[in-house]
Amino acid sequence: MSIQTVEIKPIIPSASKNFWQTYRQSRLGIAGLILLLAILLTAIFAPLLAPYDPKSSEGVGAGQVYNAPSAAHWFGTDDAGRDVFSNFIYGARVSLIVGFFASFISVFIGGTIGIVAGYYGGRTENILMRFTDTMLVIPDLPLIVVIVALTRPSLLNIIFVIGIFGWTTTARMVRSQTLAVKSRKFVLRARAIGAGRAHIIRHHILPLVMPILVVQAVLVVSVAVLNESTLSFLGLGDPTALSWGQMLNYAFARGAMSTGAWWALVAPGIGIIWVVLGLILVGQGLEQVLNPRLNTHHLMPSRPTIKSEAAARSGEQVLLEVRNLSINYINEGQAPACAVEDVSFTLKEGELIGLVGESGCGKTTLMLGLLKLLPNAGQIVNGQVYFKNKEITTLSDDEVNKVRWRGISIVFQGAMNALNPVRTVGDQIAETIIKHLPDFDSAKIPARVTELLDLVGIAAEHKEQYPHQYSGGMRQRAMIAMALACNPEVVIADEPTTALDVMIQAQILELLDQLRKKLGLAIIFVTHDLGVVAEMCDRVLVMYGGVTAEYAAVDTIYNTPLHPYTQELLKAFPDLTKPKKKLSSIPGYPPRLDDLPAGCRFAPRCPAVFDRCRTEQPALHELAGELHVVSCHLVEAIK
Amino acid sequence: MNRWTYIRNKAIWSLFTIIFVVVLNFFLFRVLPGDPARQGIRDPRLTPEAIEAIRIRFGLDKPVINCIQTINPFRAGSCEINPLDTQFFIYVKNLLRGELGISFYYNRPVSEILGERLWNTILLIGGGQILSIIVGVVFGILSAWKARTPLDYGVLVTGLVAWSLPTFWLGIILLFWGSTHGFPIGGKATPGMSSYPFFAQLTDMLWHLLLPTLTYTIVFMGEYMLIMRSSLLDVLSEDYILTAKAKGLSTFQILKDHALKNGMLPLVTIIAINLGFTVGGVIQIESVFSWPGLGGALFEAVSRRDFPMLQGGFLLIAISVILANFLADLMYSYLDPRVQTE
Repeated sequence: MSIQTVEIKPIIPSASKNFWQTYRQSRLGIAGLILLLAILLTAIFAPLLAPYDPKSSEGVGAGQVYNAPSAAHWFGTDDAGRDVFSNFIYGARVSLIVGFFASFISVFIGGTIGIVAGYYGGRTENILMRFTDTMLVIPDLPLIVVIVALTRPSLLNIIFVIGIFGWTTTARMVRSQTLAVKSRKFVLRARAIGAGRAHIIRHHILPLVMPILVVQAVLVVSVAVLNESTLSFLGLGDPTALSWGQMLNYAFARGAMSTGAWWALVAPGIGIIWVVLGLILVGQGLEQVLNPRLNTHHLMPSRPTIKSEAAARSGEQVLLEVRNLSINYINEGQAPACAVEDVSFTLKEGELIGLVGESGCGKTTLMLGLLKLLPNAGQIVNGQVYFKNKEITTLSDDEVNKVRWRGISIVFQGAMNALNPVRTVGDQIAETIIKHLPDFDSAKIPARVTELLDLVGIAAEHKEQYPHQYSGGMRQRAMIAMALACNPEVVIADEPTTALDVMIQAQILELLDQLRKKLGLAIIFVTHDLGVVAEMCDRVLVMYGGVTAEYAAVDTIYNTPLHPYTQELLKAFPDLTKPKKKLSSIPGYPPRLDDLPAGCRFAPRCPAVFDRCRTEQPALHELAGELHVVSCHLVEAIK
Repeated sequence: MNRWTYIRNKAIWSLFTIIFVVVLNFFLFRVLPGDPARQGIRDPRLTPEAIEAIRIRFGLDKPVINCIQTINPFRAGSCEINPLDTQFFIYVKNLLRGELGISFYYNRPVSEILGERLWNTILLIGGGQILSIIVGVVFGILSAWKARTPLDYGVLVTGLVAWSLPTFWLGIILLFWGSTHGFPIGGKATPGMSSYPFFAQLTDMLWHLLLPTLTYTIVFMGEYMLIMRSSLLDVLSEDYILTAKAKGLSTFQILKDHALKNGMLPLVTIIAINLGFTVGGVIQIESVFSWPGLGGALFEAVSRRDFPMLQGGFLLIAISVILANFLADLMYSYLDPRVQTE
């Protein structure tokens, strides 16, 4: 389970239908396609394009050896007075023929070995993959050189030898893809109804392995073209087929260097680069279609905060105050998605506030926004965050780094990936102390780490272990120990128990509550489980679709909930005092944040919906008396 | 589970691969068309007696592996020949003593010639590999960190173009350029240098080494840049990077302490897999720059039909690559604590 940040996922196209749509987005892929098409057409129409016959040096006088480029010979002439431009055009034919046929052999062998190994598994797989690994380690070019040197240098031989030794990477890729495909449901079903192996491979596995095979084929062609030119350059090419490598061999061996005939050296090289670059670019484009990935990461700067007029603050002395905070996700070419809108709350020392709502309601975004940890597309568009009276949203990175962890720390959901796999847990805890408490006696750090781990119930001997040696519950507790390392004043616990089993959930909740009492922490507890919050919270903020649905003291929320969403959430959880109560769930899903309904965001699922809800977004109504904020048109009547 | 088990398995596998290469190397030269003696000594002036003498000298008169002179093992032992007196066992026995036969061309032990040249190749690969890894890692990191900026696109395009350069062609172009800018036109030392003091000789050699190393660096940095970039892009979108950021670490600290080691893992694998290609590149560079290394030796052996040299050169190259691969596996096991036995 990974931390939810960007709720908007790119729509992954169904493979064949939108292939071109996706491919088109890769500028490199397009460039590659153009390069390849151009050279392919050149090769096909070589006799029409070439101004001279490449084989004969007809009409060439003795003085025409290594003539510089001119109007008659665009790329000059070579050592025998032949036109380099014509040779270049015909050379494309040889290079492409060798490339495509050799790659066909390689992909055929590699594909077969990969599919058989992946599908049959067991001993077959073991032997085939051992063989593949062995072949992979043996340097292929020296081997090809040796074999070509021992046989006759004909084009056919070269195609075979290059093809026979170029299959190893394909076999490995195809095998892992076959393994992945093999366990899919429809393959298992086909096996269950007794389909033969050949049938399954042909009709179920091959179509899904094909895309990988195509990408591999493209890359293998580029390797084959390079190998052919290298062989020809080393003098092992077919002397009757003038490939680009052959041209370079002649030019290099027959004095192009000493006569300064750069054109005879540059032109064939450009040809090779043209084809290979074209193929690699097309490979990149195809990769992008098969394996689309978000082009963002955590170190990309998020969009600058839009400064807004600060509203008057309540005079109360609070630790953390969030005022009218709004956060948008901005993706180019799309309408901004309002992930958080106009949310306000306060937190005093030692208090615990519960932040409740279904997944995708903007809870995590709100928490990341507090510490300016929003992803690249995220932007604070309105509101302020005051921590000890200091406005955080407009701080520079260096300044906000001083607040992070030292003032406010976070326990992320699913600590599976939240710890670095290649560093020991103890080391990762110590790191925060070194960073934030420079005065801390470094000799005492190990003792402090042990103390922290002890606090969350992890024995000292696990200090030097890596995260993968921990159980899920231990990792979550280690995360908590890490969050406490610098004695922060606020700890944000973002669904710290979602991925854990019930017993461990209870332990962790207990632990957090104890620590709060012992250390005087203020905690923001993010959860979708109203039951969890009931026992420990002071106040509860219910979020729906990015906005505050209801915000009140915990007793008010449980005894007199006013927002239909809160009421529905409460119905969904068992109550010990009313054992016969029927549990119900709310039909439907929270709205997509980039496609919010026009009126109240809960309207499409609300049992008490009326016309006005569909057109007008309800304001945040503050009820008289105790703190109680509700955003629902129905409340107006009560007020 | 245990690192030692992992290392032991890798060691056993490397040994197995070496044995495979040793056997392959022997039979390649026996199965493929052309008797090495006839192919290698094609001088028409030689009388049949002289050729026979040469065959005896190089041990080619002995049975290959059994008396029928075929490679079919099922027919072995059908006549009274001591299996230890066949070409294959003599080859294995000599190998174990570090002997690779006598070069047709130089008329000197192949192992002696290759031994001299091995160091030149190590010098070239070592320097080039270190430089290309440094350039690749640094620019890969910069490019991933500054993703979707002009810097990133610049690195991406440079990497792709460098990746598609034919090694020998880049060598030719650099040599061509260098020859008009005061660089040596190849070789390892300026003629007559041997009478100069050691330091002058060293400078002269490094001067000769500069362009070959540059060629190597440019060709291999492209792929390293691209691999590093893509692996770091993956790492930087991992949750533990967000944790590191939430911990208040600076960008530099995050890159150095949390991203680099994870991002290097795929690169180590690729470097190991690439060692084979590396040697291919070295053959080309050494041929272009007449650098007296193993690759150059292989190239010369091909054009001179010097079979013992070709056989010995290939064997030495293949075994070096296998050993280097083993070292890369060792390194990986230290970088990644999650390494387990397969």
